[in-house]
Amino acid sequence: MSKIYKFLTTAAFMWLSVGWAWAQYTVTGNVTDERTGDPLIGASIILKGTTSGTITDLEGNFTLSLSTTNETEVIVSSIGYLSQTIAVRSGMSPLSIKMKQDATNLEEVVVTGLASSVKRSNLANAVSSVSARDLTGTTTIQTTDGALYGKVAGATIRSNGGAPGGGISIQLRGISSLQGASQPLIIIDGVYINNASQRTGRAAVSGAGGSNQDDGANRLADINPADIENIEILKGPSAAAIYGTRANAGVIIITTKRGAEGRTTVSLSQDVGFAKPLRLLGVDDWSEEKINFFFPESRRPIELERFRSAQASGNFVDYEDYFYNNNALLLNTRINVSGGDEKTKFFISGNITAEDGTVRNTGFERYSIRANIDHKITNKIKLGVSSNYIRSNTDRGFTGNQNNSGASIGYSIAYVPNYYDLRRNPDGTYPINPYFSENPVSVTDNGVNNSLVNRFIQAFTLDFDILKTQNSFLKATVSGGLDFLQNSTEVYLPEFLQFQSAQANPGDILIGKQESFNTNFQAALVYNWNLGSVNMNSQAGLVRLDFENSSLFNRGRGLVPGQTNLLQANIQQINEQFTSKIQEAGIFLQQEANWEDKIIGTLGIRWDKSTLNGDPNQYYAFPRASMAVNLTNFEFWNSSVISQLKPRIAYGETAGPVAFGATFTPLGGTNIGGLLGSTVSTSIGNTQIQPETATELEFGVDAGFFNNRVSLEATYYIKNTQNNLQNLNLAPSTGVNTTPSNEAELQNKGLELGLSGTVVEKSNFRWFSRILYWQNDIEMTRLGIPTYIAGGFGSGLGTFLYAEGYSPTTIVGSPADPTIPGGFTIWGNAQPDFNLSFYNTFNIYKGLEFSFLVDWRQGGDNINLTSFLTDGGGTTNGWFDDDNEDGIPNGRQREPEPYNNAGRWVQDATFVKIREIGLYYTFPRTTISNWFGNTVQNMRVGSSVNNAFLFTNYQGYDPETSTFGAQAVANNVDIAPYPTPRRIFFHLTIDF
Amino acid sequence: MKNIAKNLGFMLITAGLTFGCNPLQLDDIQDPNNPSVGSIANNATSQQIQFLITGLESRHRGYVTNISQAWNTFGREIWYLNASDPRFQTDWLGQNGRVPDRSYFGFGNTGGGSWAAPYQAIKQADVLQLAAENTSNISVAQKSAVIGFAKTIQGFQFMIPANFVYQNGIRMDVSDPLNPGPFVQYDQALDQIKTILDEGFQALGSAGSGNFPFRLTSGFSDFNTIAGLQQVNRAITARLNAYRQDWQGVLTALDASFMNLNGDLTRGPAHPYGAAPDIFNPLYYVPNAAVNTIIVVHPSVLDDATAGDLRVQNKFLQRTNPVTVTTDAGALVGTHQDARWATNTTPIPFIRNEELILLKAEAHANLSQASEAVAAINIIRTAAGIGPYTGATTTAALIDEILYQRRYSLWAEPWGHRWIDARRYGKLNEIPTSYDGGAIFTQFPHPQAELSWDDYVGNN
Repeated sequence: MSKIYKFLTTAAFMWLSVGWAWAQYTVTGNVTDERTGDPLIGASIILKGTTSGTITDLEGNFTLSLSTTNETEVIVSSIGYLSQTIAVRSGMSPLSIKMKQDATNLEEVVVTGLASSVKRSNLANAVSSVSARDLTGTTTIQTTDGALYGKVAGATIRSNGGAPGGGISIQLRGISSLQGASQPLIIIDGVYINNASQRTGRAAVSGAGGSNQDDGANRLADINPADIENIEILKGPSAAAIYGTRANAGVIIITTKRGAEGRTTVSLSQDVGFAKPLRLLGVDDWSEEKINFFFPESRRPIELERFRSAQASGNFVDYEDYFYNNNALLLNTRINVSGGDEKTKFFISGNITAEDGTVRNTGFERYSIRANIDHKITNKIKLGVSSNYIRSNTDRGFTGNQNNSGASIGYSIAYVPNYYDLRRNPDGTYPINPYFSENPVSVTDNGVNNSLVNRFIQAFTLDFDILKTQNSFLKATVSGGLDFLQNSTEVYLPEFLQFQSAQANPGDILIGKQESFNTNFQAALVYNWNLGSVNMNSQAGLVRLDFENSSLFNRGRGLVPGQTNLLQANIQQINEQFTSKIQEAGIFLQQEANWEDKIIGTLGIRWDKSTLNGDPNQYYAFPRASMAVNLTNFEFWNSSVISQLKPRIAYGETAGPVAFGATFTPLGGTNIGGLLGSTVSTSIGNTQIQPETATELEFGVDAGFFNNRVSLEATYYIKNTQNNLQNLNLAPSTGVNTTPSNEAELQNKGLELGLSGTVVEKSNFRWFSRILYWQNDIEMTRLGIPTYIAGGFGSGLGTFLYAEGYSPTTIVGSPADPTIPGGFTIWGNAQPDFNLSFYNTFNIYKGLEFSFLVDWRQGGDNINLTSFLTDGGGTTNGWFDDDNEDGIPNGRQREPEPYNNAGRWVQDATFVKIREIGLYYTFPRTTISNWFGNTVQNMRVGSSVNNAFLFTNYQGYDPETSTFGAQAVANNVDIAPYPTPRRIFFHLTIDF
Repeated sequence: MKNIAKNLGFMLITAGLTFGCNPLQLDDIQDPNNPSVGSIANNATSQQIQFLITGLESRHRGYVTNISQAWNTFGREIWYLNASDPRFQTDWLGQNGRVPDRSYFGFGNTGGGSWAAPYQAIKQADVLQLAAENTSNISVAQKSAVIGFAKTIQGFQFMIPANFVYQNGIRMDVSDPLNPGPFVQYDQALDQIKTILDEGFQALGSAGSGNFPFRLTSGFSDFNTIAGLQQVNRAITARLNAYRQDWQGVLTALDASFMNLNGDLTRGPAHPYGAAPDIFNPLYYVPNAAVNTIIVVHPSVLDDATAGDLRVQNKFLQRTNPVTVTTDAGALVGTHQDARWATNTTPIPFIRNEELILLKAEAHANLSQASEAVAAINIIRTAAGIGPYTGATTTAALIDEILYQRRYSLWAEPWGHRWIDARRYGKLNEIPTSYDGGAIFTQFPHPQAELSWDDYVGNN
């Protein structure tokens, strides 16, 4: 059956490609992996200089009929292997072609334009690619962004905390924007997806403050990482210029898996794992001496009594251990069905992720179904659709900042001594917490912080082959898609909680609904032609983007016991309603020229306009230019050591969008004494506002050594941003505080190095190793408005300096220092000195594979306010020690002197993390067929660890933390976060 | 075959480009959430004027929370205990040598509730006056009434930043956001505020008589006539004149105010509060609630109290469990909480008959009219149940007595009376710091944002 099928497909392919010509002679052969000897299925054999050829069958065999009688050359290629050029002539014996793995990805095709792609070996930019194998091959990671750590040079990835369900920020090549999050644009299969960190309302109910303290997940968390075939990262304007207005912080292009022609494969994977906290700090023990020191006289008798009774019964509670150190069960089930024929190919996947958190009653569930279908309507018209429905259900619990409500575990337990037992009484009630306003045990048991996302992402592409000759083609591509996201949130604190029962209206519920609907449409014409020996690729097209967002949050206070319907509340309130609507349009032109793979140049331009801008009808232009020279492809090149040497240079411009509403001067609504009023806004709209723009010059060299077994990629970039959006602070005495401005300029300069290669390549042992190094320096080259400090919790606890000549990541704080702009002492800088990652994979014999990834971040400071809290509560481990023996315990006297300034909370966040370790065994085919006959094609088992080890001197659960979530600046403030988990898995994959 | 594909392709693209929607055509997107300020600039409707008046009442109460918590802490009328943020203790009490800087905790770069909020009320009143002047939809008398009301509120609000930064001076010319006027010395600023209040009084006078022509909230329920608002205007002027040490002016203003020597001491215009969509009384705390964020009575107020003072009995509730908050500067224990507010919707008066009578006493004392001063003091003492005044009748002794009575009569009102009173009589050193080891502030520097603005336009 399968042989007939194979024959048919091969025949069909040949008819398609060479049907118009008469074969003069035939070449046959077999293609195998050089190391393992396994046949390569689907390798292509193409007559050099043409588009005609054939592919190998299931046994790796091929037959190619040629239309000439002369000796000629064919190019043999297969994804993941280095191409070979082989001379063929009439009457040859069957060829035996052994292919080498493309360890350095030279052959990989990289998407560089809105309608074109280029081979990595011809690429003029440092575009990072992360394959499915890199992404999820070592271990299972909840979210796609979390799986990118250490895999992309130039990316600063930060987790906001350890709560299940995501919450990660990615900054590419430093900071491009002073406002917002400076997060890259994310495009999945052509759809501009919503990656907002959405509001959950937790910070409103807990009193923490604005929604940036909600610890909401960014919505890339909805995407099943196992669906991803490849991720390309355009790190800066030089590579991303053709994406225009939204590309200032880079572009992440995600391509999902698609079906391949051939046998239908059913692949079933199951992960079972558990999580424990990666690091806990321990709490301080108490003594009578410490109690007498710590508490005011009036409180001492009761505290001593409590302490003595705990001593008598031995009942001390390590609250860190009690709340955080739980075993969380992690379950992941994936099923893929893929296959297809010559006309129709499909990839269908289902995923159930059900992962608990290490804090009780927290967890993340994701259900995802995907159908990717490709169909040839005619031989000239191809349709591709990608449909993905996701339901994500996340319970993230109560951690982080709070005010008064006590609805944060870490914040509350900072103040509770270990001799007082807060745990639930046998009768089901909870002890009153006399040290803070709430019993966190009861909040953990009874509070709800849930986010339920229903999401549908649909992409389509239509390719028309309008004209095709042997030397040129013209095609049209129409593509687009939509992303509909609905997020229903609930934050609930029942009426019987300690803090709630102390309120006039006990019981608090905040119910939110957020909907976003993004659509995008693109049409492009691509003409590929030859100008002498130069291959030309010309593109022109247009882009249309529409973004609609709406949110409605309702709050109920004073609840009927046990009820969570808003109509069961005494006080019913609309907490927020907000609608936004954005439209953008663009036009692009791009010309690529390739002279025999020797010199490759690109020129492009995009014009964009947006309703966000002061003038919605003005087009802003974003040009680009790049050139790469493959020295080794010139005839004069003759080196056996250096097999590839490619200097390259690229320039591009992009922009960052203006925030919605920057042009409006609204009259706000207000209610007082039963009347409705209008109040003048405290911000004035700027009707001249423009997008912030960036220019980037990037140059570097790609080199391959020893027949491309080792490759080096070195890149230096200078990225300048202009017209940076920031609020100009007006004199508040005029009754208005801010107006948006386009004044600031930033410069990011950095270096990215990548060295990778196959250290050992033997038939029974293969060792691949990769080192990535990157660093970035930021400077505010122009501020344009008066020096200011912002972010964090004010100068007393560490804040950030916005001044010319300084990086906005500079941490300043009390005491005052008039010699520094802004007037405060400089205590640190959030920007890391450098990052380095080290990845290794070992293939031992045929089936065993071991790999690990080390991630090192050197430098970069955090503002550790968790220490501030535990010092206030006397619970920091070692609080009562007295290092300088002056009679004042450490917890009351943190360096540097004079002990009450902001510098004591600024701590070096250098770390080394063993991010991923994986060990897998693939059963030999013979064993499988002995066990299962022909039913099972492939079986793999393994075990892995995510966040295996952390080495740091930082005094917190994890140096990676951000109480404000994803932000351009101030994304390194530590307030009682959810501890990061260490995740250990067992894996089983069976392909049928 | 080739031609079909080609034609189809072109057809689809052409269709996409032309079918009703041009992908490059953008809609004109207006603010979907709010009306614009521009909409009331010209020929505002009567209803829009009404919305702005209610908006002014809303802005008018913007200072209450911050002033009540912070200034009353500065004057040691209260401690604002807050276990969630120790800086409400350490920074506001000036512990460990902390002194107010340009972006001090609780005030930020803009001065927050003590600076930006009162100026927002002033801005709102400016916009309201402009809208009223630039419309033909309301009568001349109505315009005059609106302007009188707006200026009265402005007079009240200007006193807040003036007392916040005291001798550093405030901006008085603030109508153009991009061109604010210079800082004016405290004394001159107070004189200019007097002019604003007088203009307001006169504008109300030109508005005829009878009811105020627009709706005011229940906070003004006793005063929503032209005459009533004039009385409020004069009450505010009396307070201002005391700060100006224009003692005869105090008495003149009091005569035209709602002062009533035999009347209810609590009578006065108020900020209303209510359930959502309104906001709750921010000073209300559930009695004996197990919380660690609460305004508590400063121990010196309890220690200095006269036995049997009904104000102590009525305003303070001794808690069953004291509230203790520890910081790196030590622990504070609050034994009594604020008992003035029956519920979380109780309105908060912003000037009361009791203060007016005390102002009368103060003016007479300063004018060496001892018997009139003692008579006014005795109204207060009698109401408090502590009998008539028997001490010396020198001006100094009477002032001491009046300041003492003001500590209990006006305790923790949203004005920071004790801090301002001690400062105007040079008695800041009499405010006790022994209970918390802190320091007493004299005044605040200008908020950072004001300096930054001057930097930006190159004034400095």
